Amino acid sequence: MDRLRFLKQHLEENFIVASLILLILLFGTASDNFFSVITLTTILNQLPALTVITVGMTLVLIVGGIDLSVGSVMGFSATVVGVATVAWGLPLPFACIVGLMAGLMCGLTNGILVSYLALPSFIVTLGMLEMARGLAYITTNSQTVYIGGAIQKISLPLPIIGVSAALLVAVATVIVAHLALTRTVMGRFIIAIGTNEQAARMSGIDARPYRLCILAASGALAGLGGIFNAAYLGSADPNAGIGFELSAIAAAVIGGTSLMGGRGSILGAFAGVLIITILQNGLAQIGVSEPAKRLITGAVIIVAVLIDRWRGTHSAS
Amino acid sequence: MATTRLSISGLSKSYSTPVLNDVNLSINCGEIHAIVGENGAGKTTLVNILAGITHKDAGEIILDGERYAPSGPKDGFNAGVSYAAQELSIIDTLSVAENIWLRELPHKMCVIETARLEQKTRGLLDLVGLDYLSSNTPTERLSLSERQLIELAKALAADARVVILDEPTAALAGPQAARLHDIIATRAGKGASIIYISHRLGDVLSVAHTVSVLRDGQVVSSAPANTLTVDDVIHQMSGQSYPKREISPGAAHEKKPVLEVDKVTTKDLPHPISCTFYPGEIVGVAGLAGAGKSEFLSALFGLTRLRTGRISRYSDAGSINIDDPAHAVRSGIGYLGEERLSMGLFNGHSVLANMMIPGIGSCSSLSFLNRVAERISSQDLIEQLAIRCDGPQQLVEQLSGGNQQKTLIARWLHCGSRILLLDEPTRGVDVGTKSAIYELLFNMRDEGKTIIVASSDVEELMTLGDRTIVFSARKLVREFQRDGWAENDMLTAAFQEFTDQSTVRRNTGELPQQNTGRP
Repeated sequence: MDRLRFLKQHLEENFIVASLILLILLFGTASDNFFSVITLTTILNQLPALTVITVGMTLVLIVGGIDLSVGSVMGFSATVVGVATVAWGLPLPFACIVGLMAGLMCGLTNGILVSYLALPSFIVTLGMLEMARGLAYITTNSQTVYIGGAIQKISLPLPIIGVSAALLVAVATVIVAHLALTRTVMGRFIIAIGTNEQAARMSGIDARPYRLCILAASGALAGLGGIFNAAYLGSADPNAGIGFELSAIAAAVIGGTSLMGGRGSILGAFAGVLIITILQNGLAQIGVSEPAKRLITGAVIIVAVLIDRWRGTHSAS
Repeated sequence: MATTRLSISGLSKSYSTPVLNDVNLSINCGEIHAIVGENGAGKTTLVNILAGITHKDAGEIILDGERYAPSGPKDGFNAGVSYAAQELSIIDTLSVAENIWLRELPHKMCVIETARLEQKTRGLLDLVGLDYLSSNTPTERLSLSERQLIELAKALAADARVVILDEPTAALAGPQAARLHDIIATRAGKGASIIYISHRLGDVLSVAHTVSVLRDGQVVSSAPANTLTVDDVIHQMSGQSYPKREISPGAAHEKKPVLEVDKVTTKDLPHPISCTFYPGEIVGVAGLAGAGKSEFLSALFGLTRLRTGRISRYSDAGSINIDDPAHAVRSGIGYLGEERLSMGLFNGHSVLANMMIPGIGSCSSLSFLNRVAERISSQDLIEQLAIRCDGPQQLVEQLSGGNQQKTLIARWLHCGSRILLLDEPTRGVDVGTKSAIYELLFNMRDEGKTIIVASSDVEELMTLGDRTIVFSARKLVREFQRDGWAENDMLTAAFQEFTDQSTVRRNTGELPQQNTGRP
């Protein structure tokens, strides 16, 4: 019985993997250049920022909230890193820590307002979306700051392993978050709070510190995304990350995370990130126009949720 | 001879296991037809099919000579079948009148006609005994029993051919239940067929014309109520008889309190309450619906802010004040709320996850979960409490109400609570599970735990309690010891603060009607 269920669960997770492979094969046959080093490098370079931000978003969604500010916080953190290196002359590692702190502060602010002042996360993070973007513009005086070569090393392939430090960190984040969610007491509590907050309270769980932690983590991960973004571009763009919150939500949802809270998977969300990134690059490869790309991406998100819903109702009965 | 209204033949329905298996039933016009059975016997599934909420797998239903296969609840309603479900369908943000008439709000060009709505609602509220409510009261302000009466009014609003009532008296005190029975008798007298589901077998036998017993998805008997006794019905429901337990009082108190309530008042409990609880005893909390029982238990669990006084928990580790559920749980207090679904269960998650939540620390090291330990503990608890399920991984919402309740009790057993607060622990639970839960509570008491049970069923408290405290109109009025109580005295105490009608409305919104007893 349990073995069957185990198998079924894996089949369900593999469903996403299967669609991913299908997508790759599709683009591989449709375009001569899809299986090329350049395409691969482009995709691998775009992955880290979206991955870490989606991890944060997925956790926030599971605990029953939403974080709309991640894109702006990412932009803000990128500009902080830029100014810290260029204007303040901080060595790169310290600049990165300052950038990470900027993201963490935004997340903490969100978290305190949502958990201890009991405001809805939608509203709070919507406010933060505006504020962090404003801060990003103020930080660089609305200019793009050229940082230079040092930071780009983060997103260049390391010798021997062949992938960038950014990607390694992003994958590590996925693994740590996955283990934290599925194997730790905190993870179980987060799922419980997202499923039925009142019942969690009756079980002696105070939801507030967990909410706070998750929103703070989401902010810090957005900060990390900002560093990756600056590394990829070699410069700090105050416009970086506009609309990123929507991509992150889409990736989480494609991966089977419920917007109602209590249900979701980090590995699924990572697969969602891969699907979105590969889809966008693949479509560009086969010469699909920008408007058509957006149409197709949108449709894929809706279809993914439809399929997920359909699987949900069929596995329940 | 009365004509047949509803005839069900060969009705079957399976989920992962068969729930209904070849059910045959016939219900006449003007008949009150009770359906009884243990939890999981298939009662709710049966009426869900009749109401169009669930679809049958096989079989045929004939309603007034025509084949009846509703495509959804709306279809069923339009065909003249109205349904008051066990899980209430009241929408908190709407008014009383809007809830009752939600399916057919009177309107002109899409604008709701408030005056007509008010007038249509008035009569219904008077009928169910909520005449003191205004029809535009938001339903979120109502007590559970008032909501249940609104649900009833909603079912009666339509002039339905078939009225289905699933546990309509679960939250009602005696007089309110009696009034409900009068109402349905009148409806039946006018020709409607009533399907009545209840665990209160005494009520069932006095109010119904026919009693059908469901067991494991089959109708095992269908007989006129006046030929049956409660024992007969229990016997048919379970296939075995439950002897009344020999009651042994708890061991003499160690005079070392575990929980002390000192002059406590809260928003809902305006009169200071003081009492003390000892290890190894079961204390009943009695009172009418809305008398303050649930509010008292919530306060003990730290769910409500105290206005004055304090609640001290004494243990080997010293004494602490209870002012927050997280503290309460950490100091070994467990709580089972009145509403299982909203206050206890994590739907969409496994029995295992539901059981392990508060005591999860014992199945983890350095905050990492030990999945093997979790599996073993949950398997043990499932066996120990005889929870009927496919295994620890089954989703909790697939269990019957009684088994869900056991899962919630298992939660506190697992985390080693020394004090258990239970609010209506056997509400909507069948006779077999009920006696299993009693047995469990006695065992826990004998292990030296303290159990505080609030219940509107006086018989239950007299079975369980070593002593009972009685609330009336949000005031702790009396305490009875096991050797010095009688059901009558307890009822008198429960009613004592309700004698002045004005007090009643101001304090509770409950309206006791001592004189509308059953004919």
